[in-house]
Amino acid sequence: MEKNVRMILFKEDQINMATEAIETLHHQGISEKDISVISGVPFSEKILGRPAAWTNVPIIGVSGALVGLIIASLLNFLTPHLYKMTVGGMPLTPIPTSIVVTFELTMLGLLISTLLGVIIEMISPSSGPKGYHPKISDGYIGILFRCPVSTDEETCLELQDLGAEIVDPEEVKQP
Amino acid sequence: MAVDVKPNISSKAKIHQETEVEDLRKEHLMLDPMPRDEMNQMVMDAMQTTTKKYWAFLIGFGVAVVVLLFGAWGYMIATGMGVAGIRRPVFWGIFIATFVFWIGISHAGTFVSAILRVFKAEFRRPFTRAAELMTTFGLAAGALYPLIHLGRVWVFYWMVPYPNARWLWPNFRSPLVWDFLAITTYLLSSTIYLFLPLMPDLAMARDRTTGWRHTIYKVLSLGWRGTEAEWLRLRKAIGIFAYAIIPVMFSVHTIVSWDFAVTMVVGWQSTIFGPYFIIGAILSGVSAVVTILFVLRSTMKNFDYFIRPEHFDGLGKLILIFSMAWAYFFFNEYILSWYGGSEALKQLLTLHATGPSAWVWYLMIICNVAIPWLFLWNKKIRRTPWIMFIITLLVNVGMFAERYTIIPLTLGHQRSPFDWGIYNPTIVEISIVLGTLCLFIFLYLLASRLIPLVPVWEVQEGQMSHTFRKVGKTEIPSVTELE
Repeated sequence: MEKNVRMILFKEDQINMATEAIETLHHQGISEKDISVISGVPFSEKILGRPAAWTNVPIIGVSGALVGLIIASLLNFLTPHLYKMTVGGMPLTPIPTSIVVTFELTMLGLLISTLLGVIIEMISPSSGPKGYHPKISDGYIGILFRCPVSTDEETCLELQDLGAEIVDPEEVKQP
Repeated sequence: MAVDVKPNISSKAKIHQETEVEDLRKEHLMLDPMPRDEMNQMVMDAMQTTTKKYWAFLIGFGVAVVVLLFGAWGYMIATGMGVAGIRRPVFWGIFIATFVFWIGISHAGTFVSAILRVFKAEFRRPFTRAAELMTTFGLAAGALYPLIHLGRVWVFYWMVPYPNARWLWPNFRSPLVWDFLAITTYLLSSTIYLFLPLMPDLAMARDRTTGWRHTIYKVLSLGWRGTEAEWLRLRKAIGIFAYAIIPVMFSVHTIVSWDFAVTMVVGWQSTIFGPYFIIGAILSGVSAVVTILFVLRSTMKNFDYFIRPEHFDGLGKLILIFSMAWAYFFFNEYILSWYGGSEALKQLLTLHATGPSAWVWYLMIICNVAIPWLFLWNKKIRRTPWIMFIITLLVNVGMFAERYTIIPLTLGHQRSPFDWGIYNPTIVEISIVLGTLCLFIFLYLLASRLIPLVPVWEVQEGQMSHTFRKVGKTEIPSVTELE
């Protein structure tokens, strides 16, 4: 079935109308994966009545921390064995002084990989409807949805009754 | 016939209540909302307005950086470390004191942004970015000092852990290597922490600019649209950073303090040097935030809407608390060392307070303790930006004096009286120190016209979550948790 991508806008203080519009779209038979909400300030899924979203950023972050920990352990405990410099009465690989390097590199791994996680997810293709309107950064709430061409106009009229501003499809572009 | 109509009690009460609400709005940014497009425009105007004066300052500071910092440093590299005043018995001079100073300043961003974020202190919202920028540029200035102090800067890479031809690795048990790792970690993480919450504002700037600015913002905003998934991952990432960067911040200044505390030098060997340094760093960092906020408010368009007396008031309270904490640690460090009865230490402490450089010690006590305690208990003073500017500037003078007392003044009077000496910084050293100050100001001036200094989305989020709630006969401000 051929589908159109449409976008509607609500002002920042019309959050209740926006959630009603999402409900209307559900009643029209438009599935969650065909709806995407964009906004200039963060609104939680609970506020919007949307299913909980998922992100891999924490997992990527923790993986990076593990990589950092492994590198730190190698530097602390392997490198002294590569070129042994034994000092009388001193252990070659003392644990207490190794904690500092271990901590710093683990944190470095965590923080850098968290950023990488954000970047990777930002540039990865997403399944929801695409599009943007500069009014979003002016505090508007935008609802993007895919709907069958046959019901397109009817849906838009219904949303307009809820106070939505219908965006001309030609104005819906990638940023 | 004229009739004298007196308003009844209920309408009087209503007028009084409206006035109260109006006063609260004037007082608190979070209760004084403005449409987002207007706020965006205000921030963009502030960023894009450049006067001739601004360019003159920018060029002036740029020239100062080239001459004072790179010129003097280049001269020192070409001539040798002999042009610096460091010589027996003082081998760590003003370079290391300034290094500690800048690392201390860099604690502001993390403290203001991360700790206040974790504790949901709402007044932080408009100035977190200004503080985070201080962290990044303070660290950039501070990180130069180990290189400058090294003398042979071209062999710096020996510190980097890589397998060289002879399989020799840096000594990972050395506090100097810890310094290198801690500062690198902190510099990278604070730069990322500055960048992450900036993305939505870069997207806002992208939508409002053309030409080279638009291209830069488009690339840096990574195609930000503001989808639910984008907000979620930003929230998660900021959450991870806010919690993770706090122990990193503590570790950095602790490790800097260990540069001193692990040695056998009289006056440095102390178990509380770590927390003592951290408290000092937060005191100087938060003070520097107030200094910067005053300058921004006075020089940048529309900043008086975002930065209000309530912010100076809040930060003033923090400075007072940290000044007291600093005094507590100072006293602790002092009294226990003195009580220990070490003759060398007794001589050193007496010399700090009565010797030829005693004025530095008194400057430290006056600026770090006397001035904050005398003035900052007063709400009126805390809410007067120009007085706060002077006080915070003096606190940082005091903190510099503290570092100077701890480093060259302590090194000059160790166990052997025949080896005592007075350190005097040379013109080359003073040039380099002033050069890094100019570098910090230059970078800040440049950044103030390139990135939105107010996190508009955070301010709007805060304003949306604040409202007035009627409780009994009056309306009181209340906060809703939107996250």
